[in-house]
Formats: sequence, structure tokens, C-alpha cells
Amino acid sequence: MSEPSTIVIGGGATGVGIARDLAMRGVDVTLLEKGNLTHGTSGRMHGMLHSGGRYAVTDQHSAEDCMTENRILRDIASHCVEMTGGLFVQMPEDDDEYFQQKLEGCRECGIPVEVLSAEEVLEMEPYLSEDLERAIQVPDGAIDPFRLCVANAVSAENHGARIETHSEVTDLLVEDGEVVGVEVEHKSGAGSRVHGAAGETEEIYADHVVNAAGAWAGEIGAMADLDVEVIPAKGVMTIMNVRQVDMVINRCKPRGNADIIVPHETTAILGTTDEEVEDPEDFPEEKSEVDFLIEEMSKMAPILEDARTLRSYWGVRPLYEPPGTGTEETEQITRNYFVLDHDDRDDTPGLTTVVGGKFVTYRKMAEDCADHVCGRLGVDAECRTADEPLPGSEDGAILSDAMDRYGLRSPLARRNKQRLGSRYDDVLSGGDPNPVVCDCEGVTRAEIQDAIESAGTDLNSVRQQTRASMGTCQGGTCAHRLAAELHPEYDEEAARAALEELYQERWKGQRHALWGEQLDQATLNHALHASTMNRDRDPTDVSVDFESFDAGRAVADGGDSDGN
Amino acid sequence: MAIEDDVLVIGGGIAGLSSAIAAAETGARTRLITHKQSTLGNASGLVDVLGYAPDDDTPRADPYDAIAQLPAEHPYSKVGADAVREGLALFDDAVGDRYRGSHSAANALVPTHAGSVKPTARYPRSTAPGLVSDDRDMLLVGIDSVTGFDAPMAADHLSAVGVPFDVRGETVRFPKSFPQDADVTRYARALDRDESVDDGTVREVLADRVEAVLEDERRVGFPAMLGDSRHEAVRTELQDRLGVDVFEVPTGPPSLPGLRLEDALYDAAEDAGVRITSGNPIVDFDADGGRVQQVLMDRLGSEVAYEAQQYVLATGGPVGGGIESDRDVVEESIFGLPVEHPEDRYEWFDDDVWGDHAYTEFGVSVDDDLRPVAGEEVQFENLRAAGNVIGGYDFATEKSGCGVSLATGYVAGSEAGELT
Amino acid sequence: MSKQAESETFDPVDLFPDATDMDLRPGVDKCDKNGNCETVCPVAEVNEDFPGPKFQGPEQWRLTRKGDIEFDESVDKCLNCMRCDTACTNDVPLGQMHNVARANYVKNQKNHASREYLRNKMLANYGTLGKLGSMMPRISNAVFGLGATRWLNEKLLGFPSERSFPDFATQTFRGWWSDRGGDATSAERAREAREARGETGVDKKIAFFHGCYANYHQTEVAKSMVRLYESLGYEIVVPEQSCCGTPMFANGMLDDARGVAEENVDTFGSLVEDGYDLVATCTSCSMALRKEYPELFDIDGVEEVASHMFDAVEYLRVNEDLEAELAGADVDFPAMTYHAPCHGEVMGVEGIVTELFADVDGVELDDTGDVCCGLAGTYGWKDEKYDDSMEIGAEMFEAFEEAPGEVALTECPMCSAQIEHGTGYEVRHPMELLETALVES
Repeated sequence: MSEPSTIVIGGGATGVGIARDLAMRGVDVTLLEKGNLTHGTSGRMHGMLHSGGRYAVTDQHSAEDCMTENRILRDIASHCVEMTGGLFVQMPEDDDEYFQQKLEGCRECGIPVEVLSAEEVLEMEPYLSEDLERAIQVPDGAIDPFRLCVANAVSAENHGARIETHSEVTDLLVEDGEVVGVEVEHKSGAGSRVHGAAGETEEIYADHVVNAAGAWAGEIGAMADLDVEVIPAKGVMTIMNVRQVDMVINRCKPRGNADIIVPHETTAILGTTDEEVEDPEDFPEEKSEVDFLIEEMSKMAPILEDARTLRSYWGVRPLYEPPGTGTEETEQITRNYFVLDHDDRDDTPGLTTVVGGKFVTYRKMAEDCADHVCGRLGVDAECRTADEPLPGSEDGAILSDAMDRYGLRSPLARRNKQRLGSRYDDVLSGGDPNPVVCDCEGVTRAEIQDAIESAGTDLNSVRQQTRASMGTCQGGTCAHRLAAELHPEYDEEAARAALEELYQERWKGQRHALWGEQLDQATLNHALHASTMNRDRDPTDVSVDFESFDAGRAVADGGDSDGN
Repeated sequence: MAIEDDVLVIGGGIAGLSSAIAAAETGARTRLITHKQSTLGNASGLVDVLGYAPDDDTPRADPYDAIAQLPAEHPYSKVGADAVREGLALFDDAVGDRYRGSHSAANALVPTHAGSVKPTARYPRSTAPGLVSDDRDMLLVGIDSVTGFDAPMAADHLSAVGVPFDVRGETVRFPKSFPQDADVTRYARALDRDESVDDGTVREVLADRVEAVLEDERRVGFPAMLGDSRHEAVRTELQDRLGVDVFEVPTGPPSLPGLRLEDALYDAAEDAGVRITSGNPIVDFDADGGRVQQVLMDRLGSEVAYEAQQYVLATGGPVGGGIESDRDVVEESIFGLPVEHPEDRYEWFDDDVWGDHAYTEFGVSVDDDLRPVAGEEVQFENLRAAGNVIGGYDFATEKSGCGVSLATGYVAGSEAGELT
Repeated sequence: MSKQAESETFDPVDLFPDATDMDLRPGVDKCDKNGNCETVCPVAEVNEDFPGPKFQGPEQWRLTRKGDIEFDESVDKCLNCMRCDTACTNDVPLGQMHNVARANYVKNQKNHASREYLRNKMLANYGTLGKLGSMMPRISNAVFGLGATRWLNEKLLGFPSERSFPDFATQTFRGWWSDRGGDATSAERAREAREARGETGVDKKIAFFHGCYANYHQTEVAKSMVRLYESLGYEIVVPEQSCCGTPMFANGMLDDARGVAEENVDTFGSLVEDGYDLVATCTSCSMALRKEYPELFDIDGVEEVASHMFDAVEYLRVNEDLEAELAGADVDFPAMTYHAPCHGEVMGVEGIVTELFADVDGVELDDTGDVCCGLAGTYGWKDEKYDDSMEIGAEMFEAFEEAPGEVALTECPMCSAQIEHGTGYEVRHPMELLETALVES
């Protein structure tokens, strides 16, 4: 008898987590994602590894889950995590009573805490406001969602799973009231993305289908006439050019808007807001949201008022609450998650939907969901995802500084090690020559080539894996270098199309930062791309009368070609 | 006590330099004040006049006939086509033999390092053998450790453009190896100094490696890194060794052709008698009765006054620092001159990266004498603007980089000089 | 096109109570990655292991996190010429970034028991060495001139044997000043000069920062400056003072530099309060007080001192009508080739001398152009950097060879040491030329 088969829809943290979990239990898995991995909410979070402190007053169940998973992720995903520590900062206008509640709540949830005086806080974080009262220190950290999702997907593949990105589920196949498979449209055929390659449609059958499409879970459910009431709620995040803080900074007040700064890689991310939207793909991205975020956060860290922002982006939380709960404000809806068995709920066997929850608890969500699916499939296997490190995090990924740096200078080598974890040697040992391709983030050719191996011509995926083009110039100086790395494995036309997509994606977020230094940068980038390269009016599509142009003095006068 | 001159030009880019040269040529005692190095190092070193007409994506061979189609607020419309010719004449005199293109009124098409082609009016001598209207077959050569220019990909792109010759790209290893983060200037200097390597010198070995991949092509293009201070010697030697023409493909910043252009223009300004002051910014001014009386230089905490009868503002756009912005307002940075811009910041850009953006045209408005205006009102009767500090045009999209600066620089500088 | 001063400047914050641990990451916000700084770096030109200022400055800072104490060791190769600061079109505080990174490297990563460290410590504290040497100038000169001493210096301390130690003047400038009657007689002479010039009722007074070199070695420069300024009516005071700190900055010894900066800011700050402007004849000294102190040290009064600190030629250019003064001059001076010191360029005083003398009868003055001499304070005094130093200087040496001038003219004593070493030219200071033009003729 062949192994039981499943399809997981959605390549966010939950989807790849479920795929990994099931694959490790010996289940045949096909994961389908319509964009690249983290295309949805996972790629649009603030990068915070919660200690749970944020939920310790209002949602203690989520808080405890966060703390447990926080510890597990430090073990299994060490190369995706930076344990920065976090602070809940009390400003003069913030309530003493709430501060006490927060402190006690953390203790009740098993979150280690320490109260720090204003002087102690300013010593650690000198760019915070001198007006602050005090703070609670908690074990918050930063996590890279891209690296984490890719590592989960790679692990799943290593355990036999098939991962298909740029493959959109267009229908659920229902036979006799049972979901038996999906119809999927591969944008450029099955396998890794190649710009310009022809698309194809495939029908895939499986013993069970898991809907982990996040904000899109309702749309998937509707394909089998099922109601999955996901409430999409948007939140804005703004990326600063440098880290003004090195710890996660939370404002110590009842959960609300614009109250977190997360030091993420080379940047700091300001977050966020919470507002229900109709459509997770199409909602207004407004100036007032960005301005509000900067103004609010400047109260806690005044330097932010005039600091350079690189871009802003919006994430859509797929909130869910059981029918009839009736919460009015989206920020009050639980961050708990739900595994919906459509056989029990809707008499439609073959499909399980997982909704709600938070990024940090993705693994536990995946475990519960996989437990459920295995129960349905009659598979008797233990979950091992909490114990087995993800690819890149083996040996704790704490590598000695004395190791060979492959000629890289110390901060570049350090950053490479942090990104690649235990894969550092494998990836960098092959590159010769290995020039730096992205100066801002210190990404070398070897790392780009490694990412291209799995991402194909999807430069946005290459970017997410390596951070190339995510620094100060937002790809102004390196986007075309990234595209050049695709050639000659992929032809010029495909590389050009991939580059065009990267330019558009980089612009999409950067336009929200278009003032001051980033406006200057955009002007410089525009001059390089449009004037020096003529990318904007590239005459590949028009017919040029070459003879009407100056062919040089040689041709004009019959002199030698150099015009001497 | 203020330091006095007849004409004071603020800004040391191509607009400032051409203004200063034009003013000095009228006999006026002229000073040019520049804060730091100019932004010419960001530029390709090509001098574009006008490559495209509005709303037409076919490159134009005749830059002048498209000028007539430009809107009234375009700086070319203010100064007229003859001023463009005068500006180019000033340029031709200033750079002499270092540039080509003056033999023809038509634009030339030059290969870009992306593999596209771009219409331009003047090009460095080192770029001349690479023109794409010349139908000789071409080999592009990239260096495997230099990531900015991928020769095989650029060659394929040129073929996609439909150039009238065969073009191939090859990648070779540079004779000397550098650390991973070496800039193009490092390669240029190794060629300048013709450093010794195992099998000879850098120039010799590079020529050998290119010869090994050269087929029937009659010309070979390299990224623009063939030497800095001795670039003509480097290129000539490679040409002699290979027996074919050698040219440079202009690249992005830091751009050696752009820096060479800066040097050439500074030499010309000095020859014209321009007095040059650099290192500190002009930050403020005093005015009286609609005239600028003096401008104030900040020398790290204290201010020094410079006085003249006529002033030229050539401080550039947002990149050069002449235009500054915050989340609400865009304005000129020394005199606080107004810059027309949509009130809503989200109308400063288009959602498409190549769309019709407002921000790319930010700059001051001027009258026909290039005096900055607010509405219709001239702000200072003795202040003129030149170059990218003027708004109402997007040099990158229309391919008029340097051309507008030369034309407006010529007009602003010579008018200022004649009034003293 | 010039990049104008930004209205908002970031305030670097002390990460820890320690002077060297500053957080300069916010300064990276100004960088647009254009790489122009790379094209002017003299070290990057000759030393391929040196990545250049873009990496050393904004890139390295941006990649650094608070817990990362390791800075790339290549920062030790930076010679602190500040040419990257001069070139940057965006006001990125490159010099400051290099200074702080280098100080962190020297403090946390360099072996403090090494010969190199001890040698650097000696060079950094040149003021003390100079003081000792100048106590017995003839003996010092004889000893430093001995081949055996040079050999020992190289082997034991890592000074290049190719270089000869600068001679000590037989009398320090301070000794001369004091013999001459000090501050009191200066006030008298200046008052007489003002009367002769019809400038009664005008307050013209300056405090002279002579630094180490003009005190121990080039005392003629300081004396020319005194005679010139007094003839124009300036009362001069010469307070007790410490080394400006330039060699300490260059060797990453910021704690030492902070010590001298505190003393100098204290002394010269009170003089500023009393209405004195501050003048130095050495462009590295004036740059230290004017630019490096306020960039690196949060000392009471440091901004006041900085904004009143002038280069000696610049001060006269700004405050006197020198063009009128020079209008009738006919100067008997050998044909000269001027070399603008990098530290003069970063302050914006380059070009004043050539401009002033362009039309003066009897003066023939050419220019070496925009090149670094390669000695850069203490850099060329290290045997491991001697070759780089000479290779950097090669372009300047050639420029001197090609120019028609018979003597060299420069403000910087270190440039002049390198010019003498590399070309054999006699080197004069613009103060001497101005004295000849305005006092003697």
C-alpha cells in the first residue's frame, strides 16, 4: 500500500510547517503556493519572535504558547533567530496599573521578566526618549520569516515532499460530497519559476487536503461551497534604514496601534496598525497610516522623526473567531488558532482548514493540524518538529569565529554566517571568484547562486532568502547584478523579465518612503536606470532606424574608427 | 568682510561649471563655490541633449526637432534651441579632443551596460568605437569578478534590440585578483599602473586573455574601467595588442568617465580664470530690495560672506542637494525658493516604477531669463538658476542629462556676466 | 552641484559611558551608495587589502550591531587623510566613522603588548617625545641622525630607517616668544600697527595654537605668522597648550586624544569667551580643533572652540582685504609649487593661497593638483606602511618634478616632511610668503 497522500494549500509559515510535519511522519505531501513562499501574511510580518509578553494581560493562552514556541524556535531555527531581548517601555502618560498587570501577567505565563529603571534602559538603548519611566525586560527576539519558511520547505523536500510555488489552486475537486484533490495552475510549469516558460494546469488527487491559505482560506473554502469566515485585518509596517534600537521595543500600554519597534537584520521595523479590510489582495495603502506610525513611534524614540525610512508594507492578518463570538474591534480578536474539520462541521470530508494564530506559534499550529490529519488518515506517527533542527540550524549553527572566512571581511563574514547558519561552508566554499553583489547587505555571488538553485528566475525569492537588494539603495545598484547572475543558465529574455518584476516589487514598497533621503535615493536610482542604462525606454520593442544616427567620425569621414 | 566677485556661481557640477566658464568668458570676475565633489561621478559621462520626444518611445536621431515639441515649462523651451547649440559649443571648446560627436548634428546610439542602447549627443573618445550605427561586429568582454557588467547578457540584449551587426559576449578573468569587495577603481588603477603579474603585466595578460576569445570581431568593448588617470594609454595599448578597436561601455557610479569629465571641466574653468572655492556649503543669504546682497558659507560653525553683483544657482536636484524634501514640503535648499509639487505626497509618484512620476521633475520654476519665480513673480532680479535645480523636466526619461545643464548654464552664466 | 547642509543632523549617542563606543549607525542614513568616496582614497589606490571608505564607513557601520565588537582589521590601514569626507556628495560623516571604528579596533582587537602598538603609542604622543627632544636639541639631532639609531629604531620600534627624524630647532618657538616679551609686547606692537593703519578703536586679538611642529621644528613658520599678524594689528596670546591630538586620532587612541582635547578646549574656550579668535599654522591642528573634537567628544565649550578656530591664511583672507594689501606688492621669492594638504581641503581652505598670489608681481606659483602626500601625520613613520606611503606620494613627487617651481609651499608640516624626503625640495609655508610680501616689502 502506498503512503497516504495530502495536499497543503498555502506556502506561509503554517503551510510549510504542516508540510514538514506530515512529511516527517511519512505522509506524502504536495504543497501548493500561488506566489513564492511567504507570499501572504508570513512575508509581511514585523519579524518579531514574541516572548508572549504582548498577550500576557488579555490572552494568556496565546502568551504561554508564544513562550513555549519561542524556546523551541531558538533551538530548531537558530539561524533564523536573533535573541535581541525585548522591553515593555512605560512612558509618562502610560498607566502604572497596567504596568503591574503586565508584569504579573508575564509571571503567570512563565515569561522571565525583569524591571529596569529609566537609567538602565537608556544605557542599553540610548536612542529611546529620555522621558521614559521604566521598562520590563522580556525574552523577545527577531526572526526572519523568509529564512524560516524556506528552511521548513527544504526540510519537507528532504523528507520527500513536493513543493510547488507560483502554483495557484483554482478549484477543489469534489466527488460525492468529498474533497478529493485540487486543480492547480502552474504559472511557468511545474518546478522552479522560470520567467517566460509556458504555464500549465494540473489536477492533483490526494487522500486529504489541508487549507492553510491564511487570509485566502475563505476563498479556498468557497471552492467547495464552504463558509470559512476569515476576517482580514491590515497592518502597516515601516522599515528604517538602520537599527536605531537593538532590542524589541514595545510600548507598555493596552494593546493598540503603533507600539512596536523590532530590530531586524540591518534595519528596524516599526509596527503596526489593525484595521479590517474587505479583500486581502486589494485594499488602500495610505499615507496617513505611515505618518501616524512615524509620529507615534517618535514619542518613544525621538530619532525616528527624521530618520530615513526605506519602505513601508502592509500585512493582512487572517483573523478568525468562531461564529457568534461578536468581537467588535479587530485588535481584540483572539490570536488563537483553530483547526476546522469540514467533515464534522460541514459534512464535507477530505478537507481540513487551519486559521487564525500567529507566526511564532506556526509550529504548534502545524503539529495540531498534522495530528488531526494523521488521525483522519489513520497514520500513527509522533510529531518530531520540536526536536529536529531545521536545515541550516544543525549544531546550533553557532560557528566559531576562527573558521575560514573565505576571504570575506569580518562584518560580511559574520552576516553570511548568520544568514546561512550551518550551510555556510557548503555555500561559500564553491565561489571563485566570489564578488560582493549587494553592497548594502554584504551578499556575495555564491549566496545568490545558492538561492537561484531553488528559486529559479524568481528574484524576489532570491532577495528574500539572501537579503540582496533589501538595503539602503533598495536594489538601485544591485538589481541588475542579481539578474545577471541568472544568465546564462536562463536566457537574456527571462533574466530581463525577472529583473523587471524585481524593479516593480522594490518600487512598490519604496514609494511609501518617498521624501528626504529616500527621495534623493529614488532620484539617483531613476537616473541610473533610466539615463545610464535606458531601462525605461529600452528599444527592444520598437523599430530603430540605425542608419539615421551618428555612426562616428570614422564612418562619416572615412577616417580610422577611433577618430584619430 | 565679504569676499567680492562680479559673478558668483553656487554649485560645481556641469551646470555650475558651464555657467562659470560662460560668465568668465564675458570678462566678469567669476567665482564658483562648491561644497563637495560633484555628482558627475554618478553620471555616465555621456552628454545627452534630447533622445526622445514626449510620449514616443522611438529614439530620435535629431535632437533639435524634438525640442519644438516640448511643453512651455521645459527649460529648453525657455532658452530656445540656439542656446542648446551654444551650450554644446561651449562644451566642445572646454573638453576639446576628449569628446566626440560634434562632427554630426544627429544623436549617436551608444550601448549601455545593461545591453540597451541610448541616444546621446556627445560621447567620450573612449566610447566612440562602440557606436551601434557602425555595423562592424562587436565583442563585449566582462570580468568575472566585476558584477556590474555581464557581457554575454548585454550582448544578447543588444541582439534583442536588433543592432545591425553580430555581437557576442565573453567573460574573462582579470590578470590580478582582488578581494571580494573591490571597486572598479581598483581594476582601473592596476591598468593605469600596468602592475606586474605572473605572466607579464596587467595590460599584457588582459590582452592575451581577450585575444584567446576574440574571433572575427573588429571591435571590443569593456566596462568603463580601462584606467583612470592614464586611460588613453591603457586603451591604446590594448588596441595595439589586439589589433582591433577597443572601447568602453559607460557604467553606473562610481563612473570613471563621469569623473574624467569633471576633471576636464575643472581644467577648463581654471583656464577661463574662474576662481574656485570648495569644501564648505552656502547655507544662507542676505537680500535687500529684491536683490541678493551676499551669500553665507558655513565653515563648520561660523559663517563667511561672499558677495557679487550677479548670482547663479546651480546646486542640482535632490541628488545634488539643491532640492530638499520632508514628508510635507519640497523646496530649494539655500534661498527657500518654492518648488511646485502636489500637496499630497502620494501624488509625487506613479505606482509603476517607469510611470510618469512628479518627483523626477522637482525643481524651481524660472522665467525666460532663468530667474526663479514664485508664480509669475521673479524672486531676485540678480539670481539665475541653471541645471537640475530647475524643475519641469525629467532628464533621465527624456535623455537630456547634461544637455539641459549646458544650455541653461550657458544662458545663466553669460547673461550674469554681461550684466556686470 | 553642491550638497547643502542638512537641516537635521543626527546626534551620535554614546553606547556605553566610554568615549570611543559611539553609535554611528544613524549617520549611514545620508549615504546613497554612489561610491565617489572610493575614487579618492589614496590607500585603496595602492593597497589592495584596503577596501576603501565606503566599506570602512557606512557599510561596516550599517552591518554592525551593538553586540558586535569586532571591526574589520583593515581600518588600521586608513591614514586619516579625510579625502573621503571631502568627496562625499551627501555629508556622510566618513572621517568620524573611520576614527571611531579605528579606535574600537585598536582598543578591542589590537595586541597592546606588541612592538607596533608601543611604537604607535609613541607616535601618538609625539608631543611628549618632542618636548624631551627639544630640551637638548643638538644632542637629540645628533643621536637621531646616527645610522645606528636609525637601525635600532627600525628593529626595535618599527620606524622606517629610510626616514630621518626632523631636526629640532635650537630654540623652541615658545622660548623665542618668551624671550621676545610674550603676550604683553605683542599687544604693544599690535596697538602701534593699528594706529599706523588708522584702525584705532578696533579689537583685533587672536590666540595662537602653535601645536608641536611649529614649536619644536618649524619655528620660523610660527615666527613669520607672529610678525605678519602683528603688523596687521593683531594682538597675539600664546597660552600653554597640549598636542592637538591628530596623531592620537590617526592611531586609534581616542582616550589619549580626549585628554588633550579637554585641556585645549578648556584653555582656548576661555579665550574665546574673552573675545579671541583662534589661529593655527598647521592645517591638521586646526582641523582637529575644528572638526574632530566636536565630532568625537562631548566636552563643554567644544563647539565654541571649533567655530572660532581658523587656519592662519584663511583667517586673514576672511578678516582683511588681502587683495588690496597685496595689490602693490612686488615680492622677491623663488618660484614655487604649492601643495594643498588634504586636511586643508576638508576645511575648505585649499586654493586661497594660489588665488591670492595669482596676480602679485614677483610671485610664480604653480599647483601640484589634488594629490595626497602619503605621509599623513604618523602613517609614513611606520616601517610596515613606508612603501605604501611612498607609493601614494609618488604622484605628488612627479608633480613637483614637472612643475617649474624651485621651492615647495604648503601649510602642513607633515606634507612638508614628505616633500623634502621624496623630492629634496626646500619647503616654505604661506605665512613666510605673506610675511615677505606684506611685512618685508
